Amino acid sequence: MATLTLDRPQATTPRPERDARNRRSLVGKVVLYAVLIAAAAVIMLPFFWMVTSSLKSNNQVFTVPIQWFPDPVVWSNYVDIWSKSDMTTWLKNTLILSVTVTFLQVFTGSFAAYGFSKMRFRGRDVLFLAYIGTIAVPWQAYMIPQFILMSRFGLSNTLWAIIALQAFGAFGVFLMKQYYDSIPEELSEAARIDGLSEYSIWRRIVLPLSGPAVATLTLLTFVNTWNDYLGPLIYLRDRDLWTIQIGLKTFVSQYNAEYALIMTGSVLSVLPIAIIFMLGQRYFVQGIATAGLKG
Amino acid sequence: MATTAVPAPTRAPRQRPPGSRLKLRNSLIGWTFILPNFIGFAVLTLVPVLILFYLAFTSWNVFGAAEWVGLENFEKLLGDRTFHTALRNTGYYALMHIPLTLAVSLGLAMLLNTKLRGVAFFRTVAFFPYITSIVAIAVVWNMLFSPESGPVNQILMALGIDNPPGWTTSTTWAMPAVALVSTWRDMGYYMLLFLAGLQAIPGELYEAARVDGANKLQRFWNVTIPSLRPTTFFVTVMLTIASFKIFDLILVMTDGGPGTSTLVLSQYIYRKGFEEQQFGYASAVAIVLFAICITVTVVQFLVNKRRNA
Amino acid sequence: MKRTIMMSAAAVAAATLVLAGCSSGTDTDPGGDGEVTGEVTITLAGWSLSTTPEFQILADAFHEQSPNVTVELVEYDATEYDTQMIADLAAGTAPDMYVQKNLKNFVTYQDGGQLLDVSSVAAELGDDVDGVDAYTVDGVTYAIPYRQDAWYLYYNKDLFDAAGIAYPDGSWTWDDYATAAEDLTAGLTTAGSDAKGTYQHGWQSVVQGFANAQSDGADLLSGDWEYLVPYYERAVALQDAGAQVDFGTLTTNSLTYQSQFGTQQAAMMPMGSWYVATLLAQQASGEAETFNWGFAPAPQFDDSTTDEPVTFADPTGIGINPAVDDDVAAAAMEFLTFVGSEDAASALAEIGITPAITNEAVTETFFGIEGVPTDELSQFAFSTHDVRPENPVDVNTVALQNILGDAHTAIMSGSVSPADGIAEAMDRAAAEVG
Repeated sequence: MATLTLDRPQATTPRPERDARNRRSLVGKVVLYAVLIAAAAVIMLPFFWMVTSSLKSNNQVFTVPIQWFPDPVVWSNYVDIWSKSDMTTWLKNTLILSVTVTFLQVFTGSFAAYGFSKMRFRGRDVLFLAYIGTIAVPWQAYMIPQFILMSRFGLSNTLWAIIALQAFGAFGVFLMKQYYDSIPEELSEAARIDGLSEYSIWRRIVLPLSGPAVATLTLLTFVNTWNDYLGPLIYLRDRDLWTIQIGLKTFVSQYNAEYALIMTGSVLSVLPIAIIFMLGQRYFVQGIATAGLKG
Repeated sequence: MATTAVPAPTRAPRQRPPGSRLKLRNSLIGWTFILPNFIGFAVLTLVPVLILFYLAFTSWNVFGAAEWVGLENFEKLLGDRTFHTALRNTGYYALMHIPLTLAVSLGLAMLLNTKLRGVAFFRTVAFFPYITSIVAIAVVWNMLFSPESGPVNQILMALGIDNPPGWTTSTTWAMPAVALVSTWRDMGYYMLLFLAGLQAIPGELYEAARVDGANKLQRFWNVTIPSLRPTTFFVTVMLTIASFKIFDLILVMTDGGPGTSTLVLSQYIYRKGFEEQQFGYASAVAIVLFAICITVTVVQFLVNKRRNA
Repeated sequence: MKRTIMMSAAAVAAATLVLAGCSSGTDTDPGGDGEVTGEVTITLAGWSLSTTPEFQILADAFHEQSPNVTVELVEYDATEYDTQMIADLAAGTAPDMYVQKNLKNFVTYQDGGQLLDVSSVAAELGDDVDGVDAYTVDGVTYAIPYRQDAWYLYYNKDLFDAAGIAYPDGSWTWDDYATAAEDLTAGLTTAGSDAKGTYQHGWQSVVQGFANAQSDGADLLSGDWEYLVPYYERAVALQDAGAQVDFGTLTTNSLTYQSQFGTQQAAMMPMGSWYVATLLAQQASGEAETFNWGFAPAPQFDDSTTDEPVTFADPTGIGINPAVDDDVAAAAMEFLTFVGSEDAASALAEIGITPAITNEAVTETFFGIEGVPTDELSQFAFSTHDVRPENPVDVNTVALQNILGDAHTAIMSGSVSPADGIAEAMDRAAAEVG
């Protein structure tokens, strides 16, 4: 392992033009921040509307012209949603699903990706194409055969259905494989010479180097499972099994739709993900991957 | 990580002499890596997808038997004008959405891959559209694009454009509007993938380029872009497939309208299958969609492979 | 290559396995050991149970009458009801009975052999049950309707007074309605209100439903849709004149009809009878403003039909899953007999639903609800009408409706003229359907 070091120099050597650069970069920074903040405001507009709508009554949500600020402010939606719905159950189910699916997807995905990326064997590329191929088939098209199959296994109307559905997707394999591909082959070759088995190479070298990819996969799988609507819709019928997205839809009935409550629920359901993202994004600081090699 | 308890081979090969036993061993080890995922994948995804391929050659309508009709469904596709419209619309959307999203998300990733103060906040903001409820997205953007009272057109008119587009209420502008919104929605997602890819680029490559006197742009072209190739390949493939499969955003924003101006393939599949009960025919459309995606993917795969070699 | 062949062979095998088992779905019903105690529990699919009490009311009222049978509700999604139901029926996991939520999908279940013959129940029903015909194919009835909505013209009496326009009198044709809408808009503007004369929601039914029901020789299935053109010309003229929110504004601002009429943005609104209960509930909760309102018969094609106004709406009925055991089927038949009875109709009318029977007793119950407008015209609109189903039962109905739906958005958004839009739809129908 010690044969290779990829870490970059930590300190840059002082240069003569440094002062001028600093001044220029200060102006640049101010402009950059101004642009970023303006862009952030535009990007957050729909979310802002979600929040204000959650503070309105149903008939005020859609109006001409658009009403950006609620008048009067209806706080009761945030109280009602807990009494009018099983928000606690939905949150619990969604959390169970998201955590389990994410764990399985990250684990099996990164494990399989090693086989696709670092091992050479017959049929590998064809198999890999089959993985990608299934991504290219729209789910609506094979939803019914899959549903029948799952029902035969006795999985429909259980949380297992969603876990089975989401945990073994091709997405994780593909993502991890692409990342592994960018890890220099010399690293694993050197480890092989040191007598490490392929499993140890995966666990002790490749996986630790894949922090950002694992973080990405974790975040995206978590978010996708959290926000998945069609899967739970088809597979989960019992009220005790519902996820947030399904639950929120029950505020739409044929004759009336509780838009304000839907938006309240949406705001509440976005918050956990936003927090997880805030915490998770720190894995994307340049240098962390190579810094991991230093020890 | 309990599965690492798989008995590890005691001896690792020092070199790789070409031999069938070694090949077999490698194949076996390779398969053990793939198997935990593959079992689930094969049973739950691959089998249904293969069934779909079979159904495309039948007249299946969910309840009755699946009667073999050979190529009839595909022949019917040739003369189906609405299918052609959907195909054209989907291609048009992909053509706008793919380059735009690639550029925007890579740009964002580069911009937010710094040790800027508050970068966590801005990254979260960029990711927010992806996690915001799609209903809220459709509502707000439709409103912003509202031809008369919408802010977008008010700004355009203030800029001196007398006849601003009707956006989602116009057959010409509905698709560009959807493509714009969907780029806005997806950019954080692909930014994240690019961010992860950027982490894999060894810092000393930049250092070396800097020593060689390369400026920022040159470093971007000669270091970032080549080193990012596996990620770019991944993003392009996923983005292409996702673009051709676009469904939910169209459904909530325009529902295919006005007229059939934003009708896309996935929606057509849903209409034919779940609404009109022609699952065999819907499966045939799905196969066309699949064929397009897989062709694009294989081309990208080959190009990528040749560049890597 | 060998692998691919094997894979396709496996796929075919799996497909046959999956598909062959479809219709043989054995539905085990929990607690269905009815023979010992004589008690049976049957399941019924419904949607949005907390906001749609009609299923529970039917179940409870029936249980009171036949204590041996318990009807248990299974909740489905309101908007994706048919998607879920199709999946469940295909996999053999569907409930014993299910509501035909959308008449246009009834043919799917009927044609697919997913509904038990309930002709014997239909034969026992009184003549005054509306909507049975819609569920009868080749002399066999497959579902029993419990509600039969109808489209009315709702109007806001306060806004009419403010604009100085006379209320609808039950003799209106569409031209009278259009004139009134424009006069109202002008009158309201003078009175300092920015409310419009009328609000026509963005659904294709609002224009096409009436045209299909009222026009001479109109037949949705014929694919000959010239008769839609005058209805569209009127609808487009109304929005051009500013007497109605234009379609672009309506879609881009996701307007809801509940808020347009409920917060007095429009003086009139053609809408289905279900809105009576919604408006009452919203006025009680404060979501809708308090104002005087009533409902009149829908405007007519000409004045020849004002004695028994022609309107449209689909019935809602309940059918039985053919996979059930005999004792469950017997209990379900019993339930369906109740569903089509006057007792059930009265129970439903009590909560503001328009049942399949609207005889005198039921009408009295309906207008006994607090807050329902009790003027003569509203009573007349409720009890007297010739209601035609919006969706004729046919395998091509959905495909044709989809084509017409595309035409609707194209015409209303101003992308094409009514004549061109309809002509194009007719071309598509000829090329793609049939």
